[in-house]
Amino acid sequence: MKILIADDSRVMRQIVVRTLRQAGFGDHDLVEAANGQEAFDMVNAESPDLVLSDWNMPEMTGIEVLRKLRAAGNDVKFGFVTSESTPEMKEQADSAGALFFIVKPFSAERFDEVFAPILG
Amino acid sequence: MSIEVEVNENDLAEMVEQVWESYLDPEGVSPLIPTYDENQPSEVHSSVSITGSWTGYIVYASSVQAARRAAGAFLAMEPDEVGDEDLSDVLGELANIVGGNVKAMLPPGALLSLPQVVLAPEATARFPGTERISGVYGMWEGEPVSISMWQSRGDNKEGAE
Repeated sequence: MKILIADDSRVMRQIVVRTLRQAGFGDHDLVEAANGQEAFDMVNAESPDLVLSDWNMPEMTGIEVLRKLRAAGNDVKFGFVTSESTPEMKEQADSAGALFFIVKPFSAERFDEVFAPILG
Repeated sequence: MSIEVEVNENDLAEMVEQVWESYLDPEGVSPLIPTYDENQPSEVHSSVSITGSWTGYIVYASSVQAARRAAGAFLAMEPDEVGDEDLSDVLGELANIVGGNVKAMLPPGALLSLPQVVLAPEATARFPGTERISGVYGMWEGEPVSISMWQSRGDNKEGAE
């Protein structure tokens, strides 16, 4: 499976990759995007099976990426990994079709709990 | 009207503890040991501002050695392999994570800025019209680390008649 990690922070992308490995999902093909526009373009170019996206990113926010993908008929599995989380944000994520909402800081156990059902 | 700060020192301490558990000390062997000394020295710092339902700053400050160790822990590198860019990125991320968690506890309508990183002591920073309302101060393997909240006086009308 191919997993796209979208975050404008290089450190956070690295931590997400490392946590995926720790949680036992390191064998998947991991690709990265550094902003929302790049994430949107890469979903179209690379057809990942799953997208892990930050919320607050330059160019396009994570929620904008998700809405734009759904509006274009793309139903890639998509969820958020973000340091910001409010009930309003979770609601917006849900109604836009997000599968999960992981709050930073997160642990390998949390990744396992969320991704095991998705990645098998 | 006075806007109550809904994030107290215990909340801040809990967020900081989570950062240590998740990233800086996953083995649970080197916690941040509280000093309660709000004037402890620092050599580098990072901050995010929050504006809206609450207005102010979240500041992460530490010694260079502690920042290097944090970067090493975040990036799975040895502290002496850490470059300036690694150091800056990790300091920014630390302020961002704590700021994001603080924001989650505030009333709706708060905006979080991107982090600002300054490779100079926190004492060189000025946050005009603010006062420190809360903080966690400690030593991490003998090196100073602090996380503090600075509230803007004007915008929050704290104590206004």
